[in-house]
Amino acid sequence: MSDLKEYLGPLWRDEALRRLQSELTPEKMNKVTTSMSNIYKNCPGGVELFLFIACEDGKVTRVETGTGEPPQAEFRIIGNYETFARISRAELGAQKALMTGKLKLKGNLAKALKLAAVSDRLNKVLAQIPTQY
Amino acid sequence: MPRILDPQDKYYIDNPGRVKAIQAQMHKRGIDVYLGSRIRTMSFVMDTFCPWRSYIVIPPEGQPTYFTFVVDALRVGDETWIDGDHVRAYGPMGGMDQVSAITDFIKDELGIKKGRIGYEDGISAYTAEGNLSHWEYTHFKDALPGFEWVNSHDIIDALSLIKDKGTIERFRTASLIVDEGHKAARAALESGGYRGMTETVIAGIAALAMRKAGSVSEWNFAGLNEISSGFRTGLGACTPPTTKEIKAGEPLMLDFHAMFKLALGDHSHNYLIGPATKRQRWHADNFVAIIQKVIDNYHAGTTPGTLAAMMMDFAESRGCGDFIQPACEHGIGLFGDEWRIGAIVNPDLPYWTDQDHVYSENEMVVCAMQYAAPEENIGFRYENDIVITKDGCEVLSKYPLGIEEIS
Repeated sequence: MSDLKEYLGPLWRDEALRRLQSELTPEKMNKVTTSMSNIYKNCPGGVELFLFIACEDGKVTRVETGTGEPPQAEFRIIGNYETFARISRAELGAQKALMTGKLKLKGNLAKALKLAAVSDRLNKVLAQIPTQY
Repeated sequence: MPRILDPQDKYYIDNPGRVKAIQAQMHKRGIDVYLGSRIRTMSFVMDTFCPWRSYIVIPPEGQPTYFTFVVDALRVGDETWIDGDHVRAYGPMGGMDQVSAITDFIKDELGIKKGRIGYEDGISAYTAEGNLSHWEYTHFKDALPGFEWVNSHDIIDALSLIKDKGTIERFRTASLIVDEGHKAARAALESGGYRGMTETVIAGIAALAMRKAGSVSEWNFAGLNEISSGFRTGLGACTPPTTKEIKAGEPLMLDFHAMFKLALGDHSHNYLIGPATKRQRWHADNFVAIIQKVIDNYHAGTTPGTLAAMMMDFAESRGCGDFIQPACEHGIGLFGDEWRIGAIVNPDLPYWTDQDHVYSENEMVVCAMQYAAPEENIGFRYENDIVITKDGCEVLSKYPLGIEEIS
């Protein structure tokens, strides 16, 4: 039986929450309170998926995945499934994806930039999950 | 942390009140959202130095939201009175370019999907005016289908014409700071100090004195402190300083600029570096008399056209009409607002001073006169912030009027 978890599936989501909570201390997360929704366009099967992550005082409190409209978040990042997958596989940097327009950010950029390092830390943890894309 | 507004502060400006006044005008004109882009609009609303390309989105009610280049958003957020959620940035990222960030904000956050949008367009001799460019207009329009675009800059122009108490206090202070520059320059030039000194050096001496006195900028985009000596004094009303040395027997014009809480101090003073000829003295005495005549005639109810005609008649009566330029002022307000007089667009000569504009109490102008005899290698300039009063005007630089000979 494979240990790989289907990207954005229920097992992947639970593993993401577990790892984010155990590996990222509130100090590492700069004690931020924020939330973001990644919206995945052009997913396999033609659906639109989302990944929602919320932090309170630096603790990751919610990780949700699903189809359709994501929960309300401070930031929304919109892109193709393949772009997010490449970021998760560390084939593409998130900053570069934003700077080249492959990802689109919605929200207060001035605030988002303060959270750039925190976002990188989240991505690095998620990239460690054995994933089936 | 945004700045807390303190009505007890002598420099206090009621910025929330300004926003409400703009919104009242928007309501009157059926404008659903206002997109400001001029520097003067940023200064008037944000009350903060906004040097990078910026936009302000004013909804029908509530706080406006400001957008600037990402490198400067945090600094502006720290200095303005608007809360951090309403100070935004644009930058080179997907969804965060100027057009996407602002149009998404209007559609998604304000929830305005169609209607009338006020924007700022026009023409100016002032490079840094900040009207919406054709590229911006076209792309904003494409991203906001269903909106009618209405040129509405005159809302801000009209509201900013009469200065409130705090604004006038800021100009008073800015002008006294400029006087410190003139005192330092005078001290450096006297007793032969001018020898070997260049225009750029005297500009720097004044700048240091003004900075010590509280100025944050020499603000003028035409060379900061403008200096001319010798033949250059006859070359018009924009003289960025050069490395030309100040010399005996030549005229010297010092036009210093200070900025204090966005108020723009601006005063020009002239000297004759001795020994002066009788002809130089004659020109100098003419200019001082003309300045005094103009200042004596400012009052609420008069017009730029009346003052200019009176000035020209007076110069003619002294036999120096050929040397005086036929205008005696330009508009002034907080940083970015230093062009035409009046608020309406003069239909005969759009975006130039309306010669029939009737001055009101607490309006401000820079009294500005230029005297030039280039064939004789001599010229003078006078500039001074003034507040129009019921029966006259208040001259804000207190540096004594005169053209003295120093050596």
